[in-house]
Amino acid sequence: MTPPTTVLFVDDDRDFLESKKVYLEARGYRVLTAESPDAAMATLEDETPAIIFLDLMMEHVDDGFRLGYRIGKDERLGHIPLVMLSGVAAETGTRFDGEAGGLREWSRLARFLDKPVTGQQVLAIVEELAVA
Amino acid sequence: MSEGSILIVDDEYGVRSGIRTILEMDGYEVGEAGDGAAALEALKERDYDVALLDYRLPDTDGLSLLQTMKQRGCEAMVCMITAYANIDTAIAATRQGVDFFLPKPFSPDDLEGVVATLLRHKRARTEADRLRAEHEASLLALAEEKTQTHSLVSSLRDAVLVVNRDGDIVLANPPMLALLDLSDDDVLMRPATELLGGGALAPLGQQLAAPAKDRTVRQLEIGEQTWMASIVTFRDQEGEARGRILTLSDISEVRRLAMEKQKFIRMMVHELKSPLGSIKGLLEVVTDKSLGDDLDPYLPMIARADHRIDNLALLIRDLLTLARSEQTQEGEEPELVPVAPVLDEVVELAREHGAQRGVTVTTALAADLPPALIRPDDLRLVLSNLVGNAVKYNRDGGSVTVRGAVADGWLRLDVADTGIGIREANLARLWDEFYRESRDETRELEGNGLGLSIVKRLVERAGGHLEVASIEGEGSTFSVLLPA
Repeated sequence: MTPPTTVLFVDDDRDFLESKKVYLEARGYRVLTAESPDAAMATLEDETPAIIFLDLMMEHVDDGFRLGYRIGKDERLGHIPLVMLSGVAAETGTRFDGEAGGLREWSRLARFLDKPVTGQQVLAIVEELAVA
Repeated sequence: MSEGSILIVDDEYGVRSGIRTILEMDGYEVGEAGDGAAALEALKERDYDVALLDYRLPDTDGLSLLQTMKQRGCEAMVCMITAYANIDTAIAATRQGVDFFLPKPFSPDDLEGVVATLLRHKRARTEADRLRAEHEASLLALAEEKTQTHSLVSSLRDAVLVVNRDGDIVLANPPMLALLDLSDDDVLMRPATELLGGGALAPLGQQLAAPAKDRTVRQLEIGEQTWMASIVTFRDQEGEARGRILTLSDISEVRRLAMEKQKFIRMMVHELKSPLGSIKGLLEVVTDKSLGDDLDPYLPMIARADHRIDNLALLIRDLLTLARSEQTQEGEEPELVPVAPVLDEVVELAREHGAQRGVTVTTALAADLPPALIRPDDLRLVLSNLVGNAVKYNRDGGSVTVRGAVADGWLRLDVADTGIGIREANLARLWDEFYRESRDETRELEGNGLGLSIVKRLVERAGGHLEVASIEGEGSTFSVLLPA
């Protein structure tokens, strides 16, 4: 039997982590969660998930980008698709989804999703980007 | 109204009364003087339109008298009367300001003709004088208006530059000169393009020289400041462009506030959407039946969702309080509020919360503590936030002490705790909206980061201020200082 695909969620909202974990585990995925960028880096020392979901705004407004940058330039982790989640794009007129400002390339984002993000959406992205 | 007033100066009583009779019959007012001294006396009494002077007087001659009269400001038309008329006397008399020369003997018709002519001249002269005075007054007013405009422009906070049709500078007020780092003499009648050329103001120089439109507005950065530059063409009544006015207004503060507001909205949206997303995610798991058909495994999640909804409601309440604290509504005037009853109410609730973790709350208000000048609801909110925080961020078995006294002219309320304290580096951000110190000790504690922002605004609205002293790991003391 092939080992289950591992997904990492980094978000400071414990309820968000919990619901996504339960939703994906019900579909046979292995789900890791981290509540801070530091906790994520600690997890990534031993793990190489197939895909990582990052919250943009945690303790600092750009924590997600910084973490994305750190992961992106890491030799072992650099290839992992990164999906950025944010709750601020549409309302403030700040657009992160395009090439604007090179942010996407800078942090090697595969996708940018505007919160709230449903388990269904997450599942679709995981199936597209992480399941061979 | 009289036809005019005539002064007769002649030493011969017969001549005087003869002339008087004729002139009075014509409706003139008539005065008489027998010599020069009497004439000057008479002129002190009142003004005359016409003076008829005999050339030979007992104490002086007509021309000397005339000079004295002029020196004293007499404006009467003067007719010289003499029996010794010759052309030389006439020329001399005219040179010295005599308006007419009447040789003796003269007929009543001659006299009437001369007086009528002189009166006509006098009226014409009076009218001319009046017009000249009026003209001078309006010139004066114009000059005054120019001065007023100039001082008005000078006193403006905005930097103002005026150029003429050719683009030469005709006016630059002190703020503009300061901005250009030049003096008045450096700029007047110099081409604007030359003075503004190069540097941040260069585009303005070009626009002043050849504006595309009658009115242009643009924003520009000079150093740390943001300016709004407006160029307006002014035209004369025929619609011909006469020149242009450049106004630079410092909008740095406005822009800073706008950016601050933008940031606040971004944070607020994040704080509102995050719980919504989480609630939605928790509910999705239930509808998806991710954990099977049995309801029990879902109950903790439903309880979490319920709790998040409660917190959202609190957040919305606090956002409203925050918004209200920025404006003063009518009927919400501050009043003198006794502190003790409000504090007792707040402390009672805090004791209930603290009891579970063994945190005690004690109060020590000075016996003579005066009432606080603040809106009662504001005082309750301030105290409940500070005392609530002191309990929440305390250690198990810790204590909270609220002291109240008058110190240095302020009513001072100290809320001291024995809790986790605040890191010195984070003290400055403590009052920022949504700011929460992120530490291992605070991770498990809920809060929306609005409490202290509200406290700050309410205290400042009452004319007071806050102080905070804290040692990490030992505790914090928040002090409210209200005008006593």
